Amino acid sequence: MNPLEARTDALAWRSAVSILLFIALWEVAARVHVAPAILLPPFSIVAEQLWRSILDGTLAADLSLSLARAICGLVLATAGGVILGLLMARNRMVDWLVDPLVALGFPAPKIAFIPIFILWFGIESLSKILLVMFACIFPVIIGTYSAARAVSRQFIWSALSLGSSRSSVFLHVILPACYPRIFTTFRIAVPVGLITTFTAEMVAGGGGMGATLIYSQRFFESPTVFAYIVVMLAIGLMFDAAMRRFQSRFLRWAES
Amino acid sequence: MLDLARPKIEIRGVSKTYASEHGPVLALRGTDLTVNEGEFVSIVGPSGCGKSTLLYVVGGFLAADGDVVIDGTPIKGPGTDRGVVFQEYALFPWLTVRDNIGYGLERQGMAAAEREKIVGRLVKVIGLAGFENRYPRELSGGMKQRVAIARTLACDPAILLLDEPFGALDAQTREIMQDELLRIWLETRKTVLMVTHDVTEAVYLSNRICVMSARPGQIIEEFSVTLDRGRSREELVVSEQFNSIRNRVWLSVRRQALVAGGRNEEA
Amino acid sequence: MKKPDRLLFSAKRGVVRIVPLILFGLAWHVVCSAGLVNRDFLPAPAAVAAALADLFKGGEIARNLTITLFRATVGLVLGAICGIWIGVMMARSRRFREYVTPIVGGTYSLPKSALIPLFALWFGIGNITSIAAVFLACLLPMIVNTYHGVVTTPKVLVWSAEALGTGERELWPRIFIRNALPDIFTGLRIALGFSFVLAISAEMIASTNGIGKLIFMYGENGTYDYMFAAIVCIVIVAFFADRVLILLTRRLLVWHESAVAELDARRP
Repeated sequence: MNPLEARTDALAWRSAVSILLFIALWEVAARVHVAPAILLPPFSIVAEQLWRSILDGTLAADLSLSLARAICGLVLATAGGVILGLLMARNRMVDWLVDPLVALGFPAPKIAFIPIFILWFGIESLSKILLVMFACIFPVIIGTYSAARAVSRQFIWSALSLGSSRSSVFLHVILPACYPRIFTTFRIAVPVGLITTFTAEMVAGGGGMGATLIYSQRFFESPTVFAYIVVMLAIGLMFDAAMRRFQSRFLRWAES
Repeated sequence: MLDLARPKIEIRGVSKTYASEHGPVLALRGTDLTVNEGEFVSIVGPSGCGKSTLLYVVGGFLAADGDVVIDGTPIKGPGTDRGVVFQEYALFPWLTVRDNIGYGLERQGMAAAEREKIVGRLVKVIGLAGFENRYPRELSGGMKQRVAIARTLACDPAILLLDEPFGALDAQTREIMQDELLRIWLETRKTVLMVTHDVTEAVYLSNRICVMSARPGQIIEEFSVTLDRGRSREELVVSEQFNSIRNRVWLSVRRQALVAGGRNEEA
Repeated sequence: MKKPDRLLFSAKRGVVRIVPLILFGLAWHVVCSAGLVNRDFLPAPAAVAAALADLFKGGEIARNLTITLFRATVGLVLGAICGIWIGVMMARSRRFREYVTPIVGGTYSLPKSALIPLFALWFGIGNITSIAAVFLACLLPMIVNTYHGVVTTPKVLVWSAEALGTGERELWPRIFIRNALPDIFTGLRIALGFSFVLAISAEMIASTNGIGKLIFMYGENGTYDYMFAAIVCIVIVAFFADRVLILLTRRLLVWHESAVAELDARRP
């Protein structure tokens, strides 16, 4: 086993220990009634509730709904963002038209637009998907744009002198050169997409993890609150791990 | 008064191992070298042979097996007795030229007025009068390196450690800087230990050249260089004396480079 | 460039950049007047402007905006201070880093707004919930960026400082933290964005005041022109807050070559 692998293993061990320690502390603190049971239910009770939600299918239903919304929104945001970003990089007119909107939209708290989306698209999935797209598209546009602009001229000239046509250069040189940067912005967009979905569901209802979470809070069902937060955390971790895997598999060639 | 009885720098049996993803790498193996006071010694050798590593060990930045003794005392880490100039300039980007040069003096607690005097003099010496308030990002490579040298000289260290100081500069600037360095050394007669991959540069500047073997590095050959440095560059570089020394050193390095290259091909 | 020339140049650039927005506004106006869209769904720009003026006069905007900005700022400042401290500690002590990294890595994946209901459970509906949510959200980018900034300090800078007589303690404020400043400010910009998002989320979900609540309320009541007005208001405020931060950063980091390029992320 080489030293790098050994170190990753050690880190995994230590993380596992940290987590177990954390859970143990949680259980003890709750049982000892450091805080009222309403505020801090013991881990065992939360785990029990979690198991119940899994068994009766509510978790599966909520989770799949939220994830579906988030993923659709992200896919739209990525597709739209990449296309817009590339267009802006290639065409001065498009750049001039769209740039102020992007500059205004990027720092804006997109969450504030939830009521508009609800107004236009209702409280079901459509409004959530479009809101996610709205929230996630800006970083993708910006990332794609700067990646496309930064593709070294020498890359392009080399390709041209090796006999590629202009469109071929675009498809086979500029676009692939942008992949790492696009992927990085996608990685940033994913948590934003998840947050936006959950928040939109918390504000507007209409099913999904967020809606159940806020109902549980309103009815003081704290084990469900905790259980759902744990699930959201796990989902976030899984997504991140999956993306890191993907990155090391397919984008190894790019310097991180 | 040069104390030739005891060398300024003694490097005895220095070995250094690095950890890498492919396992431990032996960079230096039992290297020995002595430098006398007032000498200008260059270390040359193929890429990756460990010459920079040796310099860093002497500077006290890397721990290693073996001894590095300065003026009879083993070193314990970096110190103001050994000034360093790196290839990458290493200027503090958040400080102006003036504050960079005066950095060491400020660390010593020198008063501002006195500092100004020294800094002002050095700025003129390196020919950057008028640029005192510029930031490093506004300077060219050659200018940055001058500031780096001035910064090191401000503290008046007895020893100068130079790690490929002109490697990042273009050919013309490099020659100008070499002349500058030579002039400064002739004036101050500090002890200089320089690492360079440019054999011509080594011959031009030093009075002793040490050739390092391919990795793991050891000093395998030494050349003493006696040239009349009063002559101009034009005269010197075309002279037979210069070129015969240069050719011998170059051949020695070349042999080592081929060894290193051959080993790479095998691996 | 001479000062007056530079101002003229910026002014011209500013005007050129605003034109598409004006075109957009015109398009909006045309769409509404032509009756292409139900008046309820998309109030005309004139109506929104009128509502905005009314809100300013009545003081609702000022009051609620202040509350939201207060919560966002307090959370941001606390988050920044703690985040920088933790980031530095992580860079300084291997042990600290090993214990803290799993926690930091874990909370990275947790959507902080998911904690709002939990905080509402614990702290009720009010300032603490919002500030706590903002604090946690701002913590992470500050930790990560500070750590990155410290850890990527070029070795030769550290060695030069040591050879010039800098003691080990002094290396931290003089070299590591100074080198990390550009990254810290990048993190601050991210955290600023988060602070707005979380403050508003918290208000929409669990609060009785603040601009988030205002927007939500107008939506529920059906007074959409007021709703649009409030949204426009917060978007503009967030935009200017971001601009101010960029300007501040450029001032403070005058020495950094890519400070300008990085923060103005649009320009390569």
